[in-house]
Amino acid sequence: MKRWWIRPLVRVVAACLLPVAVPAVITAFIWALPGDPASIICPPELCGGTAELAEAWNLDQGATHFYTTWMGAAMTGDFGNSWRLQPGVPVGELLASSIPWTAALVVLAFVPLLVGAAGAAARIIPRQVDAILQAVGLTPSVVLALCAAAVVTITYGAFAFDDEAMRVKLLLGALCLGLADQALSGAVTGVRGLMEEERKQRYVQIAILRGESVLSNTLPNTLGALAGQMRARLLHLLSGAVIVEVVIRIDGLGDLLWQGTLSQDFGVVLAAAFGFALLSALLLLLQALVEVATALHVRRSPAGVVS
Amino acid sequence: MKPTTRTLLTALGLAATATFATGASLTFYEESLPSSMNPLFASSMVDNRVHELVLDRIYHHDPITNELVSDVVERWELADGGKGVRLYLKKGIKWHDGQSMTAEDVCFTIDSMLDEGTPSPIAEKKRAVFAGCDAEKNDVALVKFVKIFHNPLNRLGIHILPKHVFGETAIRPDHQFSNRPVGTGPMKGSMGRRGVVFEKYKNVHHDPQIDQMTLQEGGDPLVQVRTLLNNGVQGIIAVPPPYRADVSASDELTLKSYDLRSWWFVAVNQEKAYLADKRVRQALNLIVDRTDLRQLSIGVKPGEQNSPCEFISGPFVQTSPYYNRSVPTQPRSDKEKAFLLLKEAGLKQVGGRWHYNGQPITMRIGMKAPLNNEAPDLLSQVGNQLGAAGFDRQEFRITVDDWNRKVLTGQATDYDLVVGKWSFGLVEDVNPLFHTRKDNRGALNIFNYANPQVDALLAQFDAARTDTEAKDAYHKLHEKLAEELPYLFLWKLDTKSAWRTEVRGNTISPYFYWTAFDSWKYGS
Repeated sequence: MKRWWIRPLVRVVAACLLPVAVPAVITAFIWALPGDPASIICPPELCGGTAELAEAWNLDQGATHFYTTWMGAAMTGDFGNSWRLQPGVPVGELLASSIPWTAALVVLAFVPLLVGAAGAAARIIPRQVDAILQAVGLTPSVVLALCAAAVVTITYGAFAFDDEAMRVKLLLGALCLGLADQALSGAVTGVRGLMEEERKQRYVQIAILRGESVLSNTLPNTLGALAGQMRARLLHLLSGAVIVEVVIRIDGLGDLLWQGTLSQDFGVVLAAAFGFALLSALLLLLQALVEVATALHVRRSPAGVVS
Repeated sequence: MKPTTRTLLTALGLAATATFATGASLTFYEESLPSSMNPLFASSMVDNRVHELVLDRIYHHDPITNELVSDVVERWELADGGKGVRLYLKKGIKWHDGQSMTAEDVCFTIDSMLDEGTPSPIAEKKRAVFAGCDAEKNDVALVKFVKIFHNPLNRLGIHILPKHVFGETAIRPDHQFSNRPVGTGPMKGSMGRRGVVFEKYKNVHHDPQIDQMTLQEGGDPLVQVRTLLNNGVQGIIAVPPPYRADVSASDELTLKSYDLRSWWFVAVNQEKAYLADKRVRQALNLIVDRTDLRQLSIGVKPGEQNSPCEFISGPFVQTSPYYNRSVPTQPRSDKEKAFLLLKEAGLKQVGGRWHYNGQPITMRIGMKAPLNNEAPDLLSQVGNQLGAAGFDRQEFRITVDDWNRKVLTGQATDYDLVVGKWSFGLVEDVNPLFHTRKDNRGALNIFNYANPQVDALLAQFDAARTDTEAKDAYHKLHEKLAEELPYLFLWKLDTKSAWRTEVRGNTISPYFYWTAFDSWKYGS
């Protein structure tokens, strides 16, 4: 394939557009709501002078002005102050305190997926296990998260936000996230299917006859697809993290997004969605990088061959 | 989950509980988290209570003697021909950031309320009270009123704000103060996503005995009570009546009265053609069987002694000086009389259903959703009673947000009836509830009720120079409203707090709750 660079290029373009497009869509949504945005954020009976607030929050000159001002400030790391959720607190501060929780949750949930995928690729995990994993994976994350929330509430009561309880919540949350909605079984069966398909290729069969390792032959050709699968798994975990964080009450980015939406704090919603968009963009860039590296590697002349 | 894991989790939980329960740190459940810690943007009773811990009001009522007292004012005198008061502040009072509190701060508070750039409805109302303020000396402030008030100190129940934190008098709701306020109250507060943490701040006028307190959102009342029984928390601000027996039965807990001066009502939408006729409203008042409603929703049996729920006939609780005792309550229904009134008003009963102008009447009845915790099923029971009397109905639970956005702003005109509750402090100013909506008046007039005679009585109360004049005006108002019935007045429902017995000296002040917090103690 001569135009191998098209796919990674599309991913890079998408990665660049995503953080710009997501706030634009949310801004359009805010303006599509009935009533003026300042009154939606802070109702007149709470904040009498909504005209002054609209001016202070850049909501008085239309959606485009608001969007460009917000994006401009966001690019410098200034997300403004929370309007309703935690009035006066810099949104950047809320993001900074939330991202580590979400990152920890997703990473913890991703480890078993990675181990499962590696086990499937190396044929360590037998095919018979797939059925069990799929059966467990039928449970929706919200159900597992509700069970975990019940355990935490019964065990910790009012101390459900102390360090110890938060660590337990993180572990339980990661377990819910990793097992539910076919996350683990999807990773195992997906990688197994991909690798088994590649094993059937003629060049692999020849390599086996020549006594070479299967993985060293198949991996370079499947790495791009594997990276794609892993990105999809991570995105799956990220979206699931919103549910798990809200139900188990973990102070992560998903919970921030949810709370911001409930309190109609669009500054917080925009920033949290921007955070999610940045993470998605980062994953897209990583996938593109892997694809480029793999393409360059497989197109390199084998050692000892004189062109 | 495996039993071993459960045991481990339980052990961890118990260890955590034990660790926290033995310190001088106390946790309590509130109805919700505060929406703002800035008193200019208070929108709920939770907000009002929290402000009392962190900030000082210039004057407040002593919870025991009911006298107007101040923690920050040494003495005062009338000035400006009675249109002002000169306040001599106590010396040495510090803000939580260590700065000294001065007369500049008192005047800044008033100036910020007078500043049109402060988008606060609370400030807006104060603009009809204050004319200005001069800091005459470092510790002397002259507060000027727009007119002579018969008890000017009563108007000074405002929380003092720190000038040095804000700088400009136009205060916005998204200032950091709303989350991490700097006050002169007994506790320094900071709001997080899951609760508010308060830390003791010793001052010349406050010496709190509790080092740290944490406010958490309560959630399900049953879980709250169970957690309290297990010493997971040390207090609950409001225990709904159905759960009070559990608390009373425990030797480790005490139920404490919290005088909130709350009364419940069913507001009637007179903009609906059939409800515009006074006789229909009077008929509805006769159809509602309050005794049954009380029994079915709150669990009070007829004739029960020490009932937490007392019927009312007007917009005041029975202990209020403004309550007019000559107006009788309506504990039982009288359908015969009610049906006669409905027929007189032109309503017809066809096939057992009431019709108006040939059309069957379907009532849309709403209730503020959180009230269901205090009076479970009240909405359904009101609906059932009206249904049994021949009215079709649809029932709706109104979210807090919709309540604030639509009901309080007079925009919920699609409802026929709305069930709600009002709470008052010692100053029971009902003018915003019943005054015609115009010129910043009638701000809480749910269905935009307008009656010139009622407006005149409200003006009479506003102009009163003595307590007797004020009482006279409100007694007449009570009588008028009991006849006009913009609301069907239901009852006053006692609010009770529950605290563990380890919490001592916990005097609960009416409305503001924490006014006497310095006397609270926790631990051995």
